[in-house]
Amino acid sequence: MSNELLTLAPLITVIVGAIAVLISDMVTPNRNHAPVAVALAALGATAALLISQGGSSASALGGSYVAGPFVAYLGLLGISIVAITLLIAPAYLAARNYPTAELAAILLFALAGAIILGAATDLVTLFVGLELMVIPGYVLAGYAKRDPLSTEGAVKYFLLGSFSSAILLFGIVVLWGAAGTASLNGIATALASGNASAGLAVALALITTGSAFKIAAVPFHYWTPDAYQGSPTPITGYLSVGPKVGAFVLLIKLFVIALAPLAALWIPVMVVLAAATMTLGNLVALTQSNVKRMLAYSSIAHTGYLMVGIVAAGAGEAAGVAGVLFYAAAYAFMNLGAFAFLTALQDRPGATTQLSDLAGLGRKHPRMAILAAIFLLSLTGIPPTAGFFAKTYVILAAVQAGGPATILAVIAVLNAAIAAFYYLRVIVYLFMRDPAEPAVQVAEGPMLRAGLLIAAIGTVALGLAPTPIIEAVIQALAT
Amino acid sequence: MPILSLIIFAPLLGALGIAFLPSSRPSLVRFAALGISLITFALSLGMLLGIRGQSGEFAFSEQLSWIPSFGITYHLGVDGLSSALVVLTTLLSWICILASFGPIQTRVKEYFISFLILETGMLGVFLSLDLFLFYIFWEIVLVPMYLIIGIWGGADRIYATIKFVLYTLVGSLLMLVAILATAFSHQAATGSWTGAFDLLALRGTITDPTLQILGFAAFALAFAIKVPMFPFHTWLPDAHVQAPTAGSVILAGVLLKLGGYGFIRFAIPLFPDGAHLFAPLMIALSVIAIIYGALVAIVQTDLKKLIAYSSVSHMGFVTLGIFTFNQQGVDGAILQMLNHGLITSGLFLLVGIGYERTHDREIAKMGGWAVRTPVYAALFGFFLFASVGLPGLSGFAGEFLVLLGAFIANPMVAGASTLVMILAAVYLLYMYQRVFTGPLSPFLKGLGAKLTDVTPTEILTLAPLATLIVIFGVMPTLLTSSFAKSVETFLMSAISTVGQ
Repeated sequence: MSNELLTLAPLITVIVGAIAVLISDMVTPNRNHAPVAVALAALGATAALLISQGGSSASALGGSYVAGPFVAYLGLLGISIVAITLLIAPAYLAARNYPTAELAAILLFALAGAIILGAATDLVTLFVGLELMVIPGYVLAGYAKRDPLSTEGAVKYFLLGSFSSAILLFGIVVLWGAAGTASLNGIATALASGNASAGLAVALALITTGSAFKIAAVPFHYWTPDAYQGSPTPITGYLSVGPKVGAFVLLIKLFVIALAPLAALWIPVMVVLAAATMTLGNLVALTQSNVKRMLAYSSIAHTGYLMVGIVAAGAGEAAGVAGVLFYAAAYAFMNLGAFAFLTALQDRPGATTQLSDLAGLGRKHPRMAILAAIFLLSLTGIPPTAGFFAKTYVILAAVQAGGPATILAVIAVLNAAIAAFYYLRVIVYLFMRDPAEPAVQVAEGPMLRAGLLIAAIGTVALGLAPTPIIEAVIQALAT
Repeated sequence: MPILSLIIFAPLLGALGIAFLPSSRPSLVRFAALGISLITFALSLGMLLGIRGQSGEFAFSEQLSWIPSFGITYHLGVDGLSSALVVLTTLLSWICILASFGPIQTRVKEYFISFLILETGMLGVFLSLDLFLFYIFWEIVLVPMYLIIGIWGGADRIYATIKFVLYTLVGSLLMLVAILATAFSHQAATGSWTGAFDLLALRGTITDPTLQILGFAAFALAFAIKVPMFPFHTWLPDAHVQAPTAGSVILAGVLLKLGGYGFIRFAIPLFPDGAHLFAPLMIALSVIAIIYGALVAIVQTDLKKLIAYSSVSHMGFVTLGIFTFNQQGVDGAILQMLNHGLITSGLFLLVGIGYERTHDREIAKMGGWAVRTPVYAALFGFFLFASVGLPGLSGFAGEFLVLLGAFIANPMVAGASTLVMILAAVYLLYMYQRVFTGPLSPFLKGLGAKLTDVTPTEILTLAPLATLIVIFGVMPTLLTSSFAKSVETFLMSAISTVGQ
């Protein structure tokens, strides 16, 4: 029993931390720093526990929860995402009279969901983890409750998210029935020996559709631009990273592990979805004049690149999953960094994020503009940044897998060139245009600066010295 | 002492140092940048002197493990070919920095930081022996050049700079896929990632015919865009016209050479079968570039654009020479790269000097310039004749050897290309006549006292180039002997394993 508690300790710490945040807010209301401090302390404790658990894997809850290096990697990544969000959000929220404590608590609950998702070994636990991770997202999307855009985005996100959860759940149930077990490995064994049945086909179709909604793959992406644009900027940053990484864990568990024997069936679908996702995401991002919305569409394109890794993994390349995990870390740092930059520009309510607002920022705030340029170059995939190595990793996996994955790799790099156009256009405005009148204000509180700095260090370090993360990823997949 | 790392990273470290200098003291920034580039130049000369004492194909080798999971190493090395290009780069870098003292008056600090980072990128490309490392430097070159054209360029700079980046990026990204495919084929064949990205380990081991063809096609596209070969050259005139003078100089002097170097160092030795398959196409495109570039240059009305198109024509000789696969052709191609680097850089510097005074490059507005500024006109004439290929100046030897090589490979091709030597004389001399001879044009007369002759600083930027043009014109063997071993190795590795 005590062993089981130890295994679950990180999860429990996160949940206790979330409750502590709420209590601290009740004890000292209207003190924004207290809940953030409590939340960061909880994150630190969780990180320490995850690191101490390290490489050894142990199971709990009757084997449906297995902690190990995979969970440790995802947990630490999730902690980084939540920590950066918590650093960049308070100033933005305070300027608009939105509470901070709720954000901290909600993010911690979502993190608990992500940890469960990573540790799940059966369909039920997997689904519970997924829902615990995404439901906080619906709340967050509607965080600016007096802003009609935010409410609209939240409603769309909630309705489509619920539909897709239902569809996914149907698929999971049918799969359970067809395979006769809820265990992910058990399903893989059962499918490998059994014959394909009509029920299995239905399950595959439903699961593919539901998952595609969750990762926002084209043509199931319609909720993202609205949900992302309506949400408060730092929350958009979180929404574009956290739930997306979680959804890819779902994909790894469902497709790469459980449905691996059916890879020949789902790979073609995934190839088409991936190609459509990155191409459409990029083409629409090209036409945006609002940077926040542009980043929303570009996050769709990044979904496509991540799917390249899933396809490679389906074709039997372990490097595919490794690539997805590395990409997730790189994407988290660079995308959160880009959103932290936008947050800094919106120091007062009503500040927009039009491209023209950024004109001449490089002259007025050179340090901020240089940081933004680093994030944008990384998102483009220019070396020596995290984004470059991440793209290289998934493309390498795709090239190894061969066949349709190789064609997908070529489509992915051509897409990177399209993406270069709109990312670099932001740099054009930052450095090559004359300052806008009135010049945009930049708010740089110490916390925001810390968040930006962490994101920037992550973005550069993962590009210059990717070896520690590569080794962590390989270790995470060893068991 | 890791001299190659020192050479590559001296400019980068200098750029970091300059970042901490105050923007309010531009002249301090200027001299700091000049000092750093001169130190780098001195280091590269030291490398050149030391290289003779070294044995093996590559001197001063450095190899450190970098990303061991994929066998990616930090592997540097220098041979005759790359040492010549390295010195060309370090030479042109300080010349460009000196030439930017006057023209660049806004955001001086950012400009010199960009320029020094650019230098690091270019040197890295010439010195990398690991494909992954090479690719990283190759891409790093893009960013500062993008900023230099986009921030300090002319009126249409943003269009030009985005076009430049997108063209280059499409080619290089496909090359990345080819690099990864090559590495993976090595891993699949040997069962280990060790050496999967190492040029020396990979050379001659790629036997898969599909990879030979597709790999070569992807590499060749990246390099062809950079050279640029017809029909991928359309970014070049825009970039040249919009770039500031130093940007044009470094673009013509070094960046285009990255393409030619890429063919000789990477594309052909790695994929000889693919190279031989594509050779007729490459030769045809080279000849088209030679003729087309010259014809288009004749009708240009903008001085800079005229020289940009002459670059397309001259660089056609480089690719033509490379794909003859014989010693004369390849010798000529490398000579042509180095000479074009010296001569065209000089011409762009001169156009820039003129632009500083007139703020115009319209040929039709000029005329009789020699009356007012005889030294300027004489210098322009000197570089112009070098560009035409006057015997005794360095431009002649390269083109002559390329044509000789082409004649051995295919007399028809050589004949067609030789005719262009006449066209080159036509467009350059016709331009010179319109700009410098005759009575002083009303436009130039209107400038009055502003139309001054070259300053001592400007002569300082041109003198090293002019001296080298004369030295290498009289004694081209100084160069050919220095890279003879590189050419020999190249020709060995370029032998196709099938056919022939």
